Amino acid sequence: MTLPPGFQFSQASLQDYVDCPRRFQLRYLLALQWPAVQAEPVEEHEQRMVLGQAFHRMVQQRLVGLPEEAIARAASNAELLRWWQSFLAYRPITAFCGDQPGTWMRGEYMLAGGVGGHRLVAKYDVLSVAATGQVTILDWKTSTKRTPDDALRERLQTRVYPFLAVQAGAHLNGDRPIDPSHVTLVYWFPEAPGSPARIAYGPEQYAADHRYLTDLIGLIALAEGDGFPMTQDESRCRFCVYRSYCDRGSTAGRLDELIAAWDLGAAPEDIDLDFEQIGEIAF
Amino acid sequence: METITAYALTPEQLDVVQMPLGGPKAAGSRIYLEGPAGTGKTTAGVARLYHMLAAGIPADQVLVLTPQRTLAQPYVDALRRPDRPSGGEPTIATVGGLARRMVDLFWPLVAQDAGFGDPDARPSFLTLETAQYHIARVVGPLVDREGYFESVTIDRHRLYGQILDNLNKSAVVGFAATEISDRLKGAWMGEQSQARVYDQAQACATAFRAYCLQHNLLDFSLQMAIFAEHLWQEPLCRDYLTSSYTHLIVDNVEEDTPVAHDILIEWLGTAHSALVILDQGAGYRSFLGADPKGARMLGDLCDVHVTFTQSFVISPTMAALGDTLSRALRPSPAGTHAVAPADPVAEDVEPQPFSVVGTDDASVATLDPTEVLHFASHRFHPQMLDWVAAEVHRLIDQAGVTPGEIVVLAPFLTDALRYSLAYRLEQLDIPVRSHRPSRALRDEPATQTLLTFAALIHPSWGIVPSKYDVAYALMVAITGMDLIRAQLLAEIVYRPHAGEPELTSFHAIRPEIQERITFMYGERYEALRTWIGACSCDAAPLDHVLARLFGEVLSQPGFGFHGDSDAGRIVAMVIESVRKFRWVVQDLALDRALGHEYLAMVKEGVIAAQYLQPWQEEPKDAVLLAPAYTFLLANRPVDVQFWLNVGGQGWWERLYQPLTHPYVLSRRWAPGRLWTDAEEFALRQETMARLVLGLIRRCRHSLYLGLSDLSEQGYEQEGVLLRAFQRVLRRA
Repeated sequence: MTLPPGFQFSQASLQDYVDCPRRFQLRYLLALQWPAVQAEPVEEHEQRMVLGQAFHRMVQQRLVGLPEEAIARAASNAELLRWWQSFLAYRPITAFCGDQPGTWMRGEYMLAGGVGGHRLVAKYDVLSVAATGQVTILDWKTSTKRTPDDALRERLQTRVYPFLAVQAGAHLNGDRPIDPSHVTLVYWFPEAPGSPARIAYGPEQYAADHRYLTDLIGLIALAEGDGFPMTQDESRCRFCVYRSYCDRGSTAGRLDELIAAWDLGAAPEDIDLDFEQIGEIAF
Repeated sequence: METITAYALTPEQLDVVQMPLGGPKAAGSRIYLEGPAGTGKTTAGVARLYHMLAAGIPADQVLVLTPQRTLAQPYVDALRRPDRPSGGEPTIATVGGLARRMVDLFWPLVAQDAGFGDPDARPSFLTLETAQYHIARVVGPLVDREGYFESVTIDRHRLYGQILDNLNKSAVVGFAATEISDRLKGAWMGEQSQARVYDQAQACATAFRAYCLQHNLLDFSLQMAIFAEHLWQEPLCRDYLTSSYTHLIVDNVEEDTPVAHDILIEWLGTAHSALVILDQGAGYRSFLGADPKGARMLGDLCDVHVTFTQSFVISPTMAALGDTLSRALRPSPAGTHAVAPADPVAEDVEPQPFSVVGTDDASVATLDPTEVLHFASHRFHPQMLDWVAAEVHRLIDQAGVTPGEIVVLAPFLTDALRYSLAYRLEQLDIPVRSHRPSRALRDEPATQTLLTFAALIHPSWGIVPSKYDVAYALMVAITGMDLIRAQLLAEIVYRPHAGEPELTSFHAIRPEIQERITFMYGERYEALRTWIGACSCDAAPLDHVLARLFGEVLSQPGFGFHGDSDAGRIVAMVIESVRKFRWVVQDLALDRALGHEYLAMVKEGVIAAQYLQPWQEEPKDAVLLAPAYTFLLANRPVDVQFWLNVGGQGWWERLYQPLTHPYVLSRRWAPGRLWTDAEEFALRQETMARLVLGLIRRCRHSLYLGLSDLSEQGYEQEGVLLRAFQRVLRRA
């Protein structure tokens, strides 16, 4: 089983492989669509995802300059409005990225780089580079509970985002290499606005991440059929849509049991461009 | 620079690639590149993109625009190469895609001024399917109760489609949606009763637009109109776009629309660099609003004009065939046709200066074009298909042609034709792919099974499936159960009463009958029935219920979808269809449950009638069966082409569209000017000439013509294209 031409790794696909190589194989190599429920109650699961996406959109609207009052008016849901009010009260972008002149900042920004002969991509909720070379990565976590720092540190996102900022972000720093010790990753929780998780980066971690990601991607790229075993931790299967495909159960796990670090918004880099359909079917 | 050399560029291409990347107003940084298909324009575009990235242009400042997703594939492939420099990501989009994203992002800025009923609420973006649903709600009563379109014999689906198409034309051409009927009537010179049809089409379009505004619904036309008329005029949005994307690559600009061109003309004024690529002789999307003549206006804003003339694709003999066929197709004073006015919409199809790498014009002129032409005449259509399949087999088996280098094309690919040919090829173990699937989503066995169970799960809806439907669903749902056992089981356990469906227990069946059905199947049925009975689904959205049914029962061991990736794909599409339907309908006042409404709409053919297959799922090395235009817009040359039904009129005729007119509603057509028979003739002639020349320019080695005296329907056929080929053969 080889990777499809043009395959790009992301934190989400790497996390899938680490959690369960079989899931990676089914989702990315076989592109298997398996529309089972991921977590129950499914209505609440969907609602949380919709809210998460709405919050991301509101912040992006603020970043492109829409008036705060106009954005707030569209927040018809009380929970979303509360998150937005927390955002305005805590101002995490200013708090963590600063407001110094010369700071470059974008929302929903993509970086891509080569690792182990393959492409690795990441889409940042907010990425800023100050004139001093200080890089801040902000990521919104809209889960209901504040994720423990230990759980966050174990996520591939925590490795991939700072790593790729260093490896692929020099153009944002006047073409000067980014010093890993100048990189900070901040997870900000609208449900716990006063308790962000702030994770510093450094050259040792960058080197370790480089080795880890190169090895991991190399392992996946070389894996054949048996190289994608099912996870031995069957508790994960309760939250995996492929559980019936793998004969690992029938009903989905409870939403409140989901590991809090799992942000319920869809992984942005896995969202395909939304082309209009008109031209595609007219013939 | 090493990445550019990967493209093995000619000096002319290299010149284009290395032209200045400039700042604002820098000389030489706005390039207009044109040439016929196959002359390396897109290769130059991709290489320039690489050059820009290698030269330090921030990738996120680069926007690649194509009119359709398929045409962007060379850029997508290039950007996913592992040797690409690290950095940001260029954006690859269509103008329609940009419009959608900008409306989503800047909605609070324009919702009020654009007249939406609830500007503080979020917009709902309609898919083709959900647009069909809503227009059915608006137009259906007018047709049923007011007698609209009585004189028109056309499928209800297509009727709605043409009303939507009129609105799309107003948005992409740039005229008011209230002018549709005036424009159509102004060009009409037939019976006056048609004017009434146009007025009714206008009334429907106006009513649908008002309905969309009232409910915050945005179909494609409204997305484009809001973007062009409001957001592009709004400094915050325009500055966001023009400052984010300062380097533009616009490919196949001839296939884009006037409003897209208007926006690009203004955008070019602020861009640091631009490469605008036009395919001469194309404009295949004219009936979707493409404006190849208008595209040339972008050239006026560019300071460098380059024309490529050498084909890298076709053989010299194929080029000679293209030349000869073009001459045979063009009306001439000495010919049998009267001289017609030129097609007002399309580009002039007169062959542009065109040569083939390694040859000169003189040598091409001496070649015998029939050397690359292969054909055999047959009396009956199935004989022609047998011949096509045999020739495809011979090419693969004996001539070493790979399946992916063969396409079989027809002007329209009916289900019957596609099935007949695919069956013949599959019998010969030849892999086949098609841009038209075998069935509409609603006709898939997995879909029918799900919808039958949906009715059984919700007895209060009062939908009572037939016994056959229940038996069929049981057969599909229970692994190994044959139709006879399923019918026996359904006959006994399926007991509708008081207008509601109900399943009774297997355990209540007489033992000898249980034995005939078998206890194993009985247990599985019982598990399914118990699940249905226990499902507290009345308040749950139908898509959630179906996802549970799939995951908890139907995909479990012993049930029909277990391990079945095709079923998974179909069920995923059904669930997606229901979900999108729910999202855009949930705020409406319906007189029945939303899931019930969905099922009713499926039955009426409004929903799940389309079947959109993601392009990336297709196997690459397989013989492609496709409508000719679909192949053209994939823009991928092949070694061998087969053209079917060459004697048929389908190559020359255009779709019957009594409610619209793609050319009268174009920007090239002056309001009030009559559309005469001469214009119609010229249009068809030029359109066919453009089509066949476009196909030939995407064919490297051999062209096979499928000929039969009788058509698929049994009619004698001797169409315009066949006569043109006869002239080619006589000249050879």
